[in-house]
Amino acid sequence: MKITPIIGLEVHVELKTKSKMFCGCKAEHFHVDPNTQTCPVCLGLPGALPVPNRTACEWCIKLGIALGCTPNLTSFFERKNYFYPDLAKGYQLTQFEKPFVVNGKLVIDGQEIRINRAHMEEDTGKSVHITNNGQDLTLIDYNRSGVPLVEIVSEPDITSAEMAKKYLLKIQQIIRYLGISDADIEKGSMRCEPTINLKIEDNGQEFFTPLAEIKNVASLTGVQTAIDFELNRQLEEFKQTGEGKSKTNKTTRGWDADKNQTFLQREKEGSSDYRYFPEPDIPHIAFTAAQIDTIKSTIPELPDEKIIRYQKDFGLNDYDANLITQDINFAASFEKAIGQKPSIEMAKFIANLFIGSLKTYLNESQEELDIYKINPEYFKNLFDSVSKSEISSTVAKQVIIESYTTGIDPVEIAKSKGLIQVSDSGEIEKFAKEVITNNPKAVEDYKKNSMSIGFLIGQLMKASKGSANPKMAKEILEKIL
Amino acid sequence: MDYSTFSIPQIRQLLLDKKATAVEITKFFIEKIKLIDPKIKAFITITEKEALEKAAEIDKKITNNETIGKLAGSIMAVKDIFLTKDIETTASSQLLKGYIPQYSSTVCQKLLDQDAIIIGKTNTDPFAFGGSTENSGFFTTKNPWNLDMIPGGSSGGSAAAVSANLCHFALGTDTGGSIRQPASLCGVSGLKPTYGLNSRFGITAMASSFDCPGVFARSVDDIATVTQITAGHDKKDATSTHQTIPDYSSLLDSVNLKGLKIGLPKEYFTDAINPEVKAKVLEAAKVLESQGTILKEVSLPSTNLGLAVYYILVPSEISANMSRYEGIRFGQTVPDSSNIISYYMNIRGQFMEPEVKRRIIIGTYALSSGYYDAYYTKAAKVRTLIKQEFEKVLADVDVILAPVSPTTAWKIGEKCSNPLEMYLADAYTVCINVAGVPSLALPCGFNSNNLPIGFQLIGNFFEESKIMSIGHQYQQITDYHLQISKI
Repeated sequence: MKITPIIGLEVHVELKTKSKMFCGCKAEHFHVDPNTQTCPVCLGLPGALPVPNRTACEWCIKLGIALGCTPNLTSFFERKNYFYPDLAKGYQLTQFEKPFVVNGKLVIDGQEIRINRAHMEEDTGKSVHITNNGQDLTLIDYNRSGVPLVEIVSEPDITSAEMAKKYLLKIQQIIRYLGISDADIEKGSMRCEPTINLKIEDNGQEFFTPLAEIKNVASLTGVQTAIDFELNRQLEEFKQTGEGKSKTNKTTRGWDADKNQTFLQREKEGSSDYRYFPEPDIPHIAFTAAQIDTIKSTIPELPDEKIIRYQKDFGLNDYDANLITQDINFAASFEKAIGQKPSIEMAKFIANLFIGSLKTYLNESQEELDIYKINPEYFKNLFDSVSKSEISSTVAKQVIIESYTTGIDPVEIAKSKGLIQVSDSGEIEKFAKEVITNNPKAVEDYKKNSMSIGFLIGQLMKASKGSANPKMAKEILEKIL
Repeated sequence: MDYSTFSIPQIRQLLLDKKATAVEITKFFIEKIKLIDPKIKAFITITEKEALEKAAEIDKKITNNETIGKLAGSIMAVKDIFLTKDIETTASSQLLKGYIPQYSSTVCQKLLDQDAIIIGKTNTDPFAFGGSTENSGFFTTKNPWNLDMIPGGSSGGSAAAVSANLCHFALGTDTGGSIRQPASLCGVSGLKPTYGLNSRFGITAMASSFDCPGVFARSVDDIATVTQITAGHDKKDATSTHQTIPDYSSLLDSVNLKGLKIGLPKEYFTDAINPEVKAKVLEAAKVLESQGTILKEVSLPSTNLGLAVYYILVPSEISANMSRYEGIRFGQTVPDSSNIISYYMNIRGQFMEPEVKRRIIIGTYALSSGYYDAYYTKAAKVRTLIKQEFEKVLADVDVILAPVSPTTAWKIGEKCSNPLEMYLADAYTVCINVAGVPSLALPCGFNSNNLPIGFQLIGNFFEESKIMSIGHQYQQITDYHLQISKI
């Protein structure tokens, strides 16, 4: 029996524009007092009309292009009709027939995942269920109503939960590179709804299990666990019932993060009838090819391109290039630090400082890297000193953090702390003689076994407070002994 | 003094010359409304307090030698689907009874900013769904020319208020004839502007791609003055025009009637029209011909499809536009329901008038999966065709002249049992909305029962100035618009 998971993802991303999609209310709504950012438009009051947010439309196109999509030069909004208390107008403005961008793709681990479309829509309000004096109540917060939302719809090309997670991470990374959303799954500014079924091949026969759409997945690990759970569940169910996919047996399942399982939310009788039709309150939106080019020109170099360039121009390995480009600010800071046309040696050296030192520091202190604190001159000085063996690479990793936090030249820090390597043979000889005098037993040991010189070198380094060039220390000790 | 016979600029001049105060004028109208309106029931709400406050404010400006607005002292009646801040706005539906808006429609606000005085909110069919005010959730307005007759609709209250001289001008909306038809049936003038000329912001939506706010007045002169204020782009309405608005009043004499080509579409002068109405409309054409215009028969072949297109697209848009009326954020509420669906059904079942439900059902059906292409898509295509026909004819002639309503006002209740017959009364008005072009309705006489008859002048997109100039010149040589019913 051969089993192939078929997974498609619908990803919703809240854009961090200043104002909402169709009115002037503030879009940022996380931890804001309920119903304090509303107006007749996003409350769906009589007579209120939507006016589209130009920036949001442009960002949707920008994201689409970054995902390899083709823009539709003319596009329009449509009304998706359904009743729900948090849907103020009784319809959601979205795009159905003519989304802003179509037909993109992302490559994950060498496998192409096609993107059907990215379209612009508005978020709904939020229903909050509470119990007050023993009474179950549903309260509605309309702060989120009308927040710009881009929906990215993939084709069912994803074949494992891990790939789904990587696909999400990639989208998240691109969105953050574009600076159009926090894309934070935990905060709800990025949401993901996987649709899943299995292709089962057995004895030359092919079966497809019924489709299930999973809702309320609120974390990245949740996405992976939920998909894995559902894949197993479908397989077990198929083994028991043998039921295959039909036009009417698609179900919606919720994800219970506490119990780590999906549960049946509703069985669908075919697809719901949303009665889409063109939104008459908003004229068609047209972009010229020149306007699309302008939008395109605001897209920064994306991570995949950066990784290739770092490998080619700076000789970084794939792993390091990936680490540095994970976050655009980190990558930009790295590029600032290495300056124009750095040597491969220097670029690699600085990459090591970024990965081995700065990143650890930032992780521990939970800080964001501040690009303004990056001084390329300092990095160059440090590189030169290490090249000349004035500073050891261990010291370099220490002082770069202090330099970053204080703004002082790392070489100066090393000097003031006496961390400059002594490469003056006379100096080292003085330490060597001192060590030999003070450690007669170790000297005896050395004479029996030349491999035990390590201890004496250690003592010499200690005596020099770590400033002696260890290579020279060894040579001089050997010479004297 | 009878302040109802003055034009808008004359009223303003009275104030400037200190021959009257705004409070005196307002009180005059309030008295008149209290006396006459119980007979015709044009108003749902009379805003006596707000009107007197506004009037006092204007008078104070005059005392302080401050500049007063262009409409200072003019009394306006507002169709009750225009939201008015702090003034109950019901849309003539039980659904919105008691609803006090927190903002005003753009058109209303612009007029208030020019010191017009709101005297009250007028009756209409609920949410403007209808052509007689008989669908109103409160009462039926009566035609000032004959109290047994309907005033037309949906803006019947506004038309009746102007007709009975209860205001200087009134606001209405025209989605399929709702300004022109009641104007005609009540013997007053009314302008349905080009779609997008006046902002729709703050007016309960009927069919968003058709709705045109506009104005009723006795004379074209006053319509020009008011439209001057209301027209133009509104950043709160994405479909409102970016066109520069001409100075309508100064252009009222600008069109030279000599050699002007007027098209008479043969589809509008068939036997389906009442002979008396037809005769009077043709007489109006003759009056214009006598001034040197050239009459020419033209054809708008898709006219007969207009009603079908209209009654598919309009209910489709209505079905979605009405979804927000579910009793959660505003409007009527009902006591506990077992769940949200039964709450929706209670609110909508209990408070929506039958015509509102009827249109939601038709529209929901037309948009449903499996029917969408056959109804909505096809109707949208024919809509384009109808629009192109108007553009083609208006490239050949300057304006089109046509009847507004195939009949004069009918008896209250006469068509209530047959909604289809009621819809047919819109036959000569809906195509203009389907196309989106402007049309000016003007009185042109009376039938043998002394009921008013009107005709319409249809212009190309944003040619309000042209049709108003022709209408104004027509009113310089006729006096139908000055006739007042003996009420």
